[in-house]
This record gives sequence, structure tokens and C-alpha cells, in this order.
Amino acid sequence: MATTRALLAIRSASPPCIIRIKASTFSSSLSFQRHGAIARCFSSDTNPSVLQPPDVSRLAETARISVTPAEIEECGPKIRQVIDWFGQLQQVDVNSVEPAIRAEMEGGNLREDAPETFENRESIRASIPSFDEVYLKVPKVLNKE
Amino acid sequence: MLSTLQPPRSLTLLPFRRLHGSKTIASLASSSPTLDASSVSPPQSQILTTRRSLLSGETTASEIAKSYLSRIRLTEPQLKCFLHVSENVLKEAQEIDQRISRGEEVGPLAGVVIGVKDNICTEGMPSTAASRILEHYRPPFDATAVKKIKEMGGIVVGKTNMDEFGMGSTTEASAFQVTANPWDLTRVPGGSSGGTAAAVAAKQCMVSLGSDTGGSVRQPASFCGVVGLKPTYGRVSRFGLMAYASSLDVIGCFGSTVADAGMLLHAVSGYDRFDSTSSKQDVPDFESQFLSMDSFESKPLKGVRVGLIRETLEEGVDSGVRSATQEAASHLEALGCLVTEVSLPSFSLGLPAYYVIASSESSSNLSRYDGVRYGNQVMADELNKLYDCSRGQGFGGEVKMRILMGTYALSAGYYDAYYKRAQQVRTLIRKDFKAALDHNDILISPAAPSAAYKIGEKKDDPLAMYAGDIMTVNVNLAGLPAIVLPCGLVEGGPSGLPVGLQMIGAAFDEETLLKVGHIFEQTLNGSGFVPPTLPNVA
Repeated sequence: MATTRALLAIRSASPPCIIRIKASTFSSSLSFQRHGAIARCFSSDTNPSVLQPPDVSRLAETARISVTPAEIEECGPKIRQVIDWFGQLQQVDVNSVEPAIRAEMEGGNLREDAPETFENRESIRASIPSFDEVYLKVPKVLNKE
Repeated sequence: MLSTLQPPRSLTLLPFRRLHGSKTIASLASSSPTLDASSVSPPQSQILTTRRSLLSGETTASEIAKSYLSRIRLTEPQLKCFLHVSENVLKEAQEIDQRISRGEEVGPLAGVVIGVKDNICTEGMPSTAASRILEHYRPPFDATAVKKIKEMGGIVVGKTNMDEFGMGSTTEASAFQVTANPWDLTRVPGGSSGGTAAAVAAKQCMVSLGSDTGGSVRQPASFCGVVGLKPTYGRVSRFGLMAYASSLDVIGCFGSTVADAGMLLHAVSGYDRFDSTSSKQDVPDFESQFLSMDSFESKPLKGVRVGLIRETLEEGVDSGVRSATQEAASHLEALGCLVTEVSLPSFSLGLPAYYVIASSESSSNLSRYDGVRYGNQVMADELNKLYDCSRGQGFGGEVKMRILMGTYALSAGYYDAYYKRAQQVRTLIRKDFKAALDHNDILISPAAPSAAYKIGEKKDDPLAMYAGDIMTVNVNLAGLPAIVLPCGLVEGGPSGLPVGLQMIGAAFDEETLLKVGHIFEQTLNGSGFVPPTLPNVA
């Protein structure tokens, strides 16, 4: 843990590290243990100035997850720390690199657009928390957004 | 609870293994008067042993099942690998015995006792993904992989513990219990398939099915001293695997030998119309790779080109792990391989790219857990509040954090900066792997930068936890197959901690991985990696 905090403290002082360059730009005076690939992950200056930092309560609202003030206080800094760390991707030269949706791009696996009856409907019904004959029961939507 | 354990059997087994960073095998052997070199035999496949002894009548499926159930009862209080043990084990075993006694055919996995990670749906058995939001959920269907092993006669003995929804590297993020590493009960088994790996290591089951999104099969395999096999993306149907990151998830196999992991993989592989990302590539007969050691030539891997990934041996990786990996490379050379160093320049980008993609995709995938159609519901007077509270109270801290990070990365205006960029980095990583695998048959690296660490050590420091995934995430981004097998021990615990070697193959080339892995394992001096802190199986 102490090592990681040291890494983060040092990171803000270190020169920007452009990841595409192979050699590490670390000076040997840095006293923490992690070097090499692991340290390069955690070392570069980020440039998040154009992006707003994460607002945890706003994000929680968007994701429809309730968070207590204690949770915001606890995980807010951790989320910001990780998002800052994501920022190093900004420095990679991705000019004219195609984004890969997934590794293997075998296509054409589409099915017939025809409904099939699932045999075990009883088991599906048994899992529904609030069920009233044909309907899944939910509370009213009071606020229109 | 510890008083129920028998004293460790380490004295018999210890001399056979090399402790990296301290004694060599030669000095250990000479210091033990009980060592008898001729009694060392390579680890045997449990699937083949079961098959032989059932068909020869030497034992019955019921006897085997009983012995595993009693071992589970004996060891679970210390280990906590299982979230649920099946009530149908003996019944299923009896059915197999009846079929054998009637002279009927039984499947190739008949009587094999199998653990299944709790994010893989098993009909009628709880499947919770170790989350409170699915606490009592019983799926109405089997995952395709589970359906296949059942059709082949396999017995699902229970559902194993994991980090909630696959998010974690220690199994500490389970909503229900923390699994202990059988090698040292104060240490983590790894994650997210920690219970799944530990159950095989502790001989609570013969083989098990896990899932691997960023290393969740390979890293616990390394920490627990078992074999973990991650297939190519698309090799095994994901139907019934609760999705974490859809472009990265695969179902993987654990076994105590390469042969067992390979045979289990063969059983669950193949095209499935229910999974649109499932591949139509032929599934070769993996079993044909597992020749007996007697038939090995003197250099059985002659000409196999192995690339050792330079970036995985830099400082920051424990010295014991580095030396175990280098020794493994020497062992491969002794078997005839041509081992050279390769560089993957994009290597260090994999970790942030992975976490952007995984948290983004998980924020989308976990939106289905809304308390309406299944799972725990927290009733409220308004619909949005029902969603908020069901999810807020149902999800654990790590899951919430990742969903929020993913929500941020996918927000309007930020998609290009994060998710799209990470996808572009994925292309760079794929290219580097392809270039390296054009000149090598396999690549090798450690499976993790260290052996198992203490429970609680990294719990509050997300970046420290994520750092441990550096060896494994790139493989998921590239969609390639990889196997981890134990290659040595490092200092720590009552008698050393296992360290795994990772071998990475070209897409759909599990055959080469299994061939090399099997020969490596069978010729590695020693009688297998058995944790010494537990009583031996009856």
C-alpha cells in the first residue's frame, strides 16, 4: 500500500511519459520498488483537464444505484484515483488505429427472428419477486423525467 | 477448528520440489533420508483414472462421490470454497453405477466430480455470482457448458466461491465468505475463481469450471498450485455465464493435471447457437495430446519455438517468481524448445485499457439486475427508488465502484476519450501478440507478479490489486488461449507457495498449449503440487 501511494505521489512530479517509446524514463533516484512494465502503468502524467472529474452522486443516479454519504466519501477518492490512472491512455498514439470491438471478428452468427417457447416457464415465474398472475408488479412511476 | 486437521505431510513431499530463492532440489534430496527417487511418479489424470477404475469395476461412482463429499465436509470449515453443495450427488452417482451394472454405455466424464463457479448457471441449484442481489436465485436453465458435462456423465458437486460478479483478484469481494488458500490458510486463493481453484487444490473435486475475464482462472491457478486453462474467446459457449465484460469473458477449466484441464475443455467446447460470439471452428481431439511419459522421445519438444516475454521479467516482479520462470524456460530448453526473448511494446497499456473496457461493459451488463424479474428486491414507493435501493443494497462495494467507473467512461462526451481509445489500444495489443506468435509457437511469462499474498493485504488499495493482473489481462484483450501450470515454489506459508508458468498460444491453438504443458508437467521432477496443510484424501 505504501509503495502505491509513493508511486502516485511521485507520479505527479515525474516528466510526462509517452508510452509508445520503449525505454523507461525513470531516474534511478526513485526509491520505490516497482519498475518496468508495472511502474510504466502507474507512472505517466495524465492530462484529464478537458474532462470533468467524476461526480460520484451524479454517476450513481445515472446508474440507478443508491449510495450513502459514507460510501461516497469512501469510494469517491478511489474512483477518482482509478479514473486518473485511466488518463494515461490519452497519451498513446492511436492515430488511424481501428478500434477492436473484441478479439475475434468472426461474423454472421445471427439467428432466425422467430420466437421459441421456453419449456420451464414455471421456474422463471418462481424467480420473480413480485408477481401477480400475468404481471410483474412494480411501483408506480411518480416522477416523469 | 484447526484441531481437526491432521499434521502436515510435508516431510514426505517437500524434498521433491524446488524452493526458489532458497534450497535447490539436490540439497533437499540429500537432507531427507526417506527420499526414494524411484517412487516419484508424474501426476496422473483423475478423469482417466476414474474412467478406468469404474469400467474395470475396481470402484464405484458412489464410493468416489462419498469420499469427495466427506472430504468437503472435513475441509470446508477451514477453506470455505463452496457456496452450495449439491443434494443430488449420491443420486447421480448411483444412476451411473446402475447403468454400468446393466452394461449400458456411460459418458467420458462419468463419475467425475466437478465444481462449478457460481456465476455459471446450474438449473435448480443456487447461482448467485457471490452477490446478495442474486442471493436465492435458482436459474431455470443450465449453462451450455454445464449441460455438456452433465450429458457426459459428470457430477456437479457444488457451486464455488468467487469475487462478486467476477470483479476481483482475491475472492475477498464475495458477499458471503472469504475462501482460504489451501497452501496457507492466512492467504488468498486468488480471484475471481478463488473457490474454484482452491477446491481442486484441496481435492474437494477433481476438476472445475471457472471464468476468466482478466486472469480469473489463470491467477488463482498460480496461487493454488493447480492447472488453469483459458480457451480462445469463442471456443466455449458463454450461454449461461453471467456476463461481466462480454468482449473478454470466457469459461475456463481447472484440473490437477494438464490432461484433466484439457479433457474438460474438450467436453465443453464447440459452437452453440445460443451464443452469437461462439466460434464455428472445429474442436480438435485434445485427448490425443496426452501421451504417456514412456512414449516421450529424449527431446520431445524439439523445434518448438518459445518466446519469453521480456516485459514480464522486469523489476517489480518478485525475485522468486522471476527465477521460477527462468528455471521453467531452462526446463523447456532441456526438452528441446528454442527459447528466445520477445518484446511486446504495448504490454504496459493492457492494464488500463482492460479496466476501462471491463468496467464500461460491466456497467452495461449489470443493469439487468434491477430487482424486478429475479433476485432480491427492495420494495419502494416509486419505481426508480426500487431500482436504486435493490441495486444499492444488493451490490457490494467493488461492484458498485466498477459500475460507476464504467458509467463515467461511457458518459456522453467521454466515450471517445476512454472506451474507444481502449478499443484502439486493444488493436495495438493484438498486433503485437500476432507479430510475436508469427515467430513463436507459444509465449511464456509468469502468471502473476507474486505468489499468494495475505488476506486483507490489498483490500483497500484498488490500484495495488489491479497491478497483480498485469500478466494476464493482455491475453483477454487479444482473445488468445493460455494455460497456467505450477512450475515451482517460493518461500512463504507452512511449506512454500506455488508459482505458475503461463503459456500463451495463437488463436484456437489450445492443442499446442496442451501438448507443451503436458510434457512440461510430466517431466518436471516431482510428484505433483499438493498443499501440505490438509489431510490426504481417503
